[in-house]
Amino acid sequence: MPSLLPPYGDPQAGFDMPSFTTMLLIMAAAAFACRAAGYLVVSFLPQSARLESALRATPLSVMAGITALAVVNGTLADAMALGSVVALTFLIGNDLIAALAGVAIVALLRSLGL
Amino acid sequence: MTAPFTLHGFWRGARDGVPLGLSILVYGLAFGLVASQALLSLGQALAMSAAVYSGSAQLAALNLMQTGQMTLTTLAATIMVINARYILFGAALRPWLGQTTPLKAYGSLLLLGDANWIFTMKAIQSGEQDRAYLAGSGVPMFAGWLVGTAVGLTSGSMLPSPHTLGVDLMLPAFAAAMMAAMMKTRASLLPVIAGAGVALAVGQVAGAGWAIIAAGLAGAVLAAALWRPSGGV
Repeated sequence: MPSLLPPYGDPQAGFDMPSFTTMLLIMAAAAFACRAAGYLVVSFLPQSARLESALRATPLSVMAGITALAVVNGTLADAMALGSVVALTFLIGNDLIAALAGVAIVALLRSLGL
Repeated sequence: MTAPFTLHGFWRGARDGVPLGLSILVYGLAFGLVASQALLSLGQALAMSAAVYSGSAQLAALNLMQTGQMTLTTLAATIMVINARYILFGAALRPWLGQTTPLKAYGSLLLLGDANWIFTMKAIQSGEQDRAYLAGSGVPMFAGWLVGTAVGLTSGSMLPSPHTLGVDLMLPAFAAAMMAAMMKTRASLLPVIAGAGVALAVGQVAGAGWAIIAAGLAGAVLAAALWRPSGGV
């Protein structure tokens, strides 16, 4: 693994590495830009009930997407645990407990070698 | 500008965020370990975790720095490409979060992560009025990320493996549970099917981040198309 050093500012460094502070500021700005951009842009769009309905629909689709990706990319243990989470949420009506149970289930299944 | 933003709502969010904070701590250990191998100091690693607060983006940035080919433009582009989903997440928060002051709203967005976005959107649907919930649910995650970074960097080894503990399934498990809890009507099956289908299709050709964005956009487009003035879907 190549190391990040020669240390910042080392005259023997083969290239002009920006100072860590500069990189940090750039990284912080880029990260915050993503967190703020969508929020900012929506305020410039004409407000409508249709737009609000569209925005309100995103979480359910995102959650379904995250779950589907985890099932497809995961092992049988992952799929069984996530299936249990959905079933438990419907059964006991508490999503927090169902999710934590799912994590416990997958840890148990994996320890059993699944 | 009159929506509540109280300590009460903040604590409600913080309490919900504790399990998230614990799982993110384990991921912080992994970043701290990689940072120690890249010879970052403790202060540098902590500053990076606090400033970027996104595991995948930080790992990609470290990787880029180590190539020796990095420019400030490629550094910024790397972070923004990996965090592009937050643009969508922020947009979805606007109708609710926009009812507090800009300072409180943007301050809360600093603590926006995948898991507490899901938590907050679920809370909004359940009628959460206190806009401090978002920041509250972010604080345990942020703290866990910093503690994990510090411990991983100084211990130099990954004692608990995320896979053995099952914490890699924490985000999908909460997504699945809250999805199930939010499916109150037959009509809500539609965004679920669309989101899952589009995520899987896009996931075949692009990274998980883009698959998540595509899923969210699919749900949004579907809802906009099906919207009727009488109250919609």
